[in-house]
Amino acid sequence: MNGWTGHFLRVNLTSKTYKKEPFSEEFARKWIGGRGFAVKILYDELAPGIDPLGPDNKFIVALGPIAGIPAPNTGKAVVAGKSPSTGGYGDGNLGTRVAEHLRKAGYDVLIVEGKAASPTMLYIEDDKVEFLPADAVWGKGTYETNDWIYAKYGKAVGVLNIGQAGENLVRYAVVRSLEGRAGGRTGMGAVMGSKLLKAIVVKGTRPIPQADPAGMKKVGTDDLREVHAIDKKTGWSIQSTNGVLAWCNEVAALPVRNFRKTHHADAWKCDGERLNNARIATYGCPNCTMRCGITIHDEEGRESELDYENVGLLGPNLEIFDLPPIGSLNYLCDDYGVDTMSGGCVLSFYADAVDRGAAPGDIRFGDSAGFKKLLTSIALRQGEIGNLLAEGSMRAAQKFGHGSIDYAMQVKGLEVAAYNCKFIPGMALAFGVSPIGAHHKESWVITFELKQSVRESYGPEKAQKVVDLQRIRGGLFEFIVSCRFPWIENGWPLEHYAKYFKLVSGLDWTLDDFWTVADRIYALIKLFWLREYPGTDRKLDYPPAVWFDPKNVDTEGPIAGKHLEFDKYDGLLQHYYDIRGYDRRGIPTKATLERLGVAAEGRAAEKFGPLT
Amino acid sequence: MKITVKLIGPFVQLFGFGEKELDVPEGTTADDLVALVGIDRSRPKIVTRNGRAVVPGEKLADGDRVVISPIYSGG
Repeated sequence: MNGWTGHFLRVNLTSKTYKKEPFSEEFARKWIGGRGFAVKILYDELAPGIDPLGPDNKFIVALGPIAGIPAPNTGKAVVAGKSPSTGGYGDGNLGTRVAEHLRKAGYDVLIVEGKAASPTMLYIEDDKVEFLPADAVWGKGTYETNDWIYAKYGKAVGVLNIGQAGENLVRYAVVRSLEGRAGGRTGMGAVMGSKLLKAIVVKGTRPIPQADPAGMKKVGTDDLREVHAIDKKTGWSIQSTNGVLAWCNEVAALPVRNFRKTHHADAWKCDGERLNNARIATYGCPNCTMRCGITIHDEEGRESELDYENVGLLGPNLEIFDLPPIGSLNYLCDDYGVDTMSGGCVLSFYADAVDRGAAPGDIRFGDSAGFKKLLTSIALRQGEIGNLLAEGSMRAAQKFGHGSIDYAMQVKGLEVAAYNCKFIPGMALAFGVSPIGAHHKESWVITFELKQSVRESYGPEKAQKVVDLQRIRGGLFEFIVSCRFPWIENGWPLEHYAKYFKLVSGLDWTLDDFWTVADRIYALIKLFWLREYPGTDRKLDYPPAVWFDPKNVDTEGPIAGKHLEFDKYDGLLQHYYDIRGYDRRGIPTKATLERLGVAAEGRAAEKFGPLT
Repeated sequence: MKITVKLIGPFVQLFGFGEKELDVPEGTTADDLVALVGIDRSRPKIVTRNGRAVVPGEKLADGDRVVISPIYSGG
């Protein structure tokens, strides 16, 4: 079977056993890899209702047909499991050498089951798997853990590890790699921690099966050079993702003060230009052509790697505008293994709740020293507030009461990324219908809304655009497993990915073939949610209530007096369901499941909610 | 009339300024302003006037703030 290694590696931490399991070509073609493999395995193997932080959950590392093969930005892996933050399907991707090494070891998927008796590091080298003690780094941050691993094995191996946040089951703990990369903001670090799994180290030495390895090598090498040359011409990497901060500020889309405001006069202090000026180094993932990781010195003089999401949510969202303190908060998140986006939203939620008298405490917006202490108390689960905030903003709001859930900036339990949708209907929809909870990874439509549509519109064109982007961003790039940046930021045509797929697999697919797989994956994720939330309905796809609140409007600026309108949002949501072939509850219909080849999976979910 | 022009992202480095005020004749359109700055018409971009996207041929008014940005796609 070219294009895939054709095997899973299944490891059980309880019994310290492992098995190399073949999978069929039919399975490979139906789910392709990455997110597709992950959701199918989790759907088939997890009993509904299991504790995501218990031994019955599974931690998955899933790769795709071009993952790890030299071509533009292919050094990525998907990590997945039942999410501790949402209770639904959870995943994320991160740049890591594991992508290449796991495939060279002979596996497209690693499935980790059970729970170790003591802190453990998995070492995988081709057919060998070792269960090694990790007591020496249990309780240590991700940087020290990484150094400890590099000292043993060198820097060329693939590494995934967690910090104290994962160990302490912070529900938005991430998995870390390569010192600067993080993934799995749906709490995949906590899933590792719940299994006492501190790190995974992989070394693979064998060739990855490909239909035309010489052709792939030539095309991949040429394209690596070409995308890099395009980036030099466009200049995207000069400011990297943080270039968007100034634009968000101009168009009233920046999160400021827990999303209460959409722009701020001091935002320029932490924009892309200032970040570029403060740059001390630049980092990227394996096979990267347009490195996005810009590091600066934080307040303590440490090297901290920033991008837009963490600047936006740990900066203006907390009313902090200077880069060094933002860098400090970011460093703490990275070292503890806390997701910077959820971390920023949880901190801002708590400050907002204190400000509104809904929660005890003395934290204030702009208090970077206070936020640093708070972040530490969350990662280490110290004290009543730290322990509560480690549960995420939704659960903290349920505890605080006083209507605070309305301004807990989350959907399905996952905090929103750094786009303030107070008056951006399509992006609010994108957050609402993201299959893992609020995340910008699946669909990002703001520029479409402002350029190709009308900001005020709740029309079907926006729902269609959300679907189109989901197919590409949450579909293709998550199952073929590659970074989307060459396409979205530098215009690298999607047809190249069909070309790569053909070179590795021999299969001559069109982009429409890929969209069918993407739709299949989204439908199965919906069924996963239905099983976990019996009787689920469209309320799961509503964004934070504060965006609909007339009392929350801007008093000046481009969207003064504007807010989302609930009935119109509900209509936009219905457009989305209609395009997708879902019913009014947001569940794929029987006809849709049949068309996508997942009717059997639908029947398995039917006892949790009738299918129409 | 006086127009404030702000460039975003790599346009700052590529065209040599972040923000400045320009004196332009009455009737100047957003497209004219983009050309004046030196940005190729074919280059993908989004232009906003006082925080709202402009439509083709939209005329500017004295005191406007025009922001010219590459097309961002949200990381």
